[in-house]
Amino acid sequence: MTLLFSLIQTMSVFLVVAYLYCKSPGFKPLAIESPKLLDKVFLYFFFSAISMMGTYLGLPIQDALANTRAIGPVLAGIIGGPILGTAVGFTGGLHRYFFGGFTALSCGLSTTTEGLIGGLVHLLLVRNNKADHVFDPKVVFLTTIIAEAVQMGIILAVSRPYSEAFELVKVIALPMIATSSTGAALFMSIIRDQRNVYDKAAATFSTKALRIAERTLNILATGFGGETAPEMARIIHEETGVGAVAITDTQSVLAFVGHGSDHHLPGAPIASPLTRRAIAENTVIFADGVHERHVCPLSDSCPLTSVLVVPLTQDNDVIGAIKLYEPRQKRFLNMNKSLGEGIAALLSNQLLLSRYEQQKNLLVMAELKLIQAQVNPHFLFNSLNTIISIIRQDADRARELLIHLSNFFRKNLKRSGNLSTLEEELDHVNSYLKIEKARFEDRLTVEMDIDPSLLHIQLPTFTLQPLIENAIKHGVSNMLEQGKTLIRAYRKEGLAFIEIEDNAGAYEENGGTDGLGIKIVDRRIKFLMGNSFGTSITCVPNEYTRVTVKIPAGGVPEECAHSS
Amino acid sequence: MRALIVDDEIHAREELEALLAETGAFTVVGKCANALEALQAIRRDKPEVLFLDIQMPMINGLELLGMIDEDIMPTVVFVTAYDQYALKAFEENALDYLLKPVEKERLAKTVQRLKRILKEGERPSPVQGIIPALTKIPCILSNRIKLISLSEVEYVKSDLAGIYVVTANGQYFTELTLRVLEDRTHFIRCHKQFLVNIDHVDEILIGENLQAQISTKSGHCVPVSRRHFKKLKDRLGL
Repeated sequence: MTLLFSLIQTMSVFLVVAYLYCKSPGFKPLAIESPKLLDKVFLYFFFSAISMMGTYLGLPIQDALANTRAIGPVLAGIIGGPILGTAVGFTGGLHRYFFGGFTALSCGLSTTTEGLIGGLVHLLLVRNNKADHVFDPKVVFLTTIIAEAVQMGIILAVSRPYSEAFELVKVIALPMIATSSTGAALFMSIIRDQRNVYDKAAATFSTKALRIAERTLNILATGFGGETAPEMARIIHEETGVGAVAITDTQSVLAFVGHGSDHHLPGAPIASPLTRRAIAENTVIFADGVHERHVCPLSDSCPLTSVLVVPLTQDNDVIGAIKLYEPRQKRFLNMNKSLGEGIAALLSNQLLLSRYEQQKNLLVMAELKLIQAQVNPHFLFNSLNTIISIIRQDADRARELLIHLSNFFRKNLKRSGNLSTLEEELDHVNSYLKIEKARFEDRLTVEMDIDPSLLHIQLPTFTLQPLIENAIKHGVSNMLEQGKTLIRAYRKEGLAFIEIEDNAGAYEENGGTDGLGIKIVDRRIKFLMGNSFGTSITCVPNEYTRVTVKIPAGGVPEECAHSS
Repeated sequence: MRALIVDDEIHAREELEALLAETGAFTVVGKCANALEALQAIRRDKPEVLFLDIQMPMINGLELLGMIDEDIMPTVVFVTAYDQYALKAFEENALDYLLKPVEKERLAKTVQRLKRILKEGERPSPVQGIIPALTKIPCILSNRIKLISLSEVEYVKSDLAGIYVVTANGQYFTELTLRVLEDRTHFIRCHKQFLVNIDHVDEILIGENLQAQISTKSGHCVPVSRRHFKKLKDRLGL
């Protein structure tokens, strides 16, 4: 009984060591997922020391030592595998061997075996994809029981005289098995808890970073400047929990949120020399508030003493800075420091991306303006000539045509770059076709077959007009025979299709050179609705050319509508 | 003045006819909706003045001019809605043109100019500078017009039924005359009734009495008359 209590006492010493160890920087090799060689060397020394300590704290009994030496090798084996376990066991065993006594050899042997057993358990778990059980105290508990039982077996088998060995085992077996396994399990439980703390910190960090990313990305998509900065500053302030957050451009403060917002005012020029330096030199500057203090140049009563200034870049040019502050009484957390740097890197990337998007958008817009401006003078003057002629015969019809002509031009001028419903597009096209029909009279027939349920769907403005103009240009106006133009809109397989067809079949003949209008229509649809949509062309020479516009059944999705 | 109106839009033809009537200076002998109709009408009615739209289906106004025999070439007044390149060429060649919609005052000037030209009996030939080279020959198929490019043509023959363009794939009727084809293409006259495309000549078989025969690459035979044989030899550098 006394022996049991003594061993529990020894075990408690181990637990204190384990606790202290976990709080020390030496714990790092255990916190990471796959330790490197250097980490393993460190673990070897650490667990060997634990093992030797077990020997030193052992209680002399019948010319032997009742001890908790097994904890070191078994833990080393389970955590680091058979090589580390055996190495630790051998070191601990060798150390024990020089203490002498009739169990010297058997104890030395068995300690090595115990390390090996731990290592085998490690292998077993890893091979069965149960690596997460390596840090499970229950596994350690059972392994240590087995290891200690094996040790008892080795003592009986190797130590002579057998009768003494038998007596010894009878006394020490139960207390040693019980305390060693409990000790090892508790030791592991401390390690596991500490690891969880580490994981949790890492998880919190990632979550925060991700949340900031998610919340700022949309805002930044509209650009970096006085309008977007306050919202971004607010989000960063909220997520990091630092004392204050400021965002500046290269000259002045764009936004300030948190402590000291009474005197740090948006719009004011940058006052802090640290910020000016960070922007000028494109470097991260950190004043921790202890060694280097941030001194507010604006107010003596400013509570902010530590600051992190990270420059924001776009195409390698500094365009501003993000600043995170903490007040005097609060330490600047390391986590917030790396978070701040990460946010700035993220935002810089995002700025680059949003500029790219903007440019892409501008390009499409410019091209759109181009097709709008391309209202063909040939069409205009021929239309006027036609109407002038019709005035002689039928003034009412001429009047009606002039109204169509003005409707057509008004829509050309007015609608720029936004979305229109299919109905509006058809109205625009209808005015155009009325005039073309008057120009070509019997030479042109137009057929329309529109699914009425599609009339309300949204399309990029000027989707139909260029396609129909093409159909007329290459169809009737270049044919000696009857020209036919077909316009269809229908649903199929959960999508919507719009087809414009002429009966000339001249697309390939023209080498597709005048496909600019079609190309722009295609690009705008892909831009708004995704790459699986857009225009496609089928042409059978001398029979027909058909341009098919494929779009989602609902037209432009709602969330894209504003970004057009 | 006997005038022919060529425009593919019916209301444009009607409007111009009305305007011409108002001047009292013209007899409109016909109205054509495309170049092929115009080619026939010019040959049939031999108008003095041609009011010609430029943008027309298949064969445009300028190309049409390249298909008209020189001795029946009318005086041309171009009528166009908008064609910046053509207008520049007209200015440079001092050709008359009207812009649609046509102003009466502007038309009156054209009338003055036409009267002067026709009175002086000037041969209208200043169009040369702007007529594009003939690269395709319009041929009439049962239901449509086919444009055959010169490089496909092996030879052209004339018989009682008309002029036929012969390619490796077949022969096609055309409204163009041998004279136009000889003048405006690189085809060589080898016989009173035949033109040959030198690019398709495979061999020339010389028989007795300098009777020769051309064999084309696809195996067609084209006769060479004694009268044209020397010219052919010169052209081939023999």
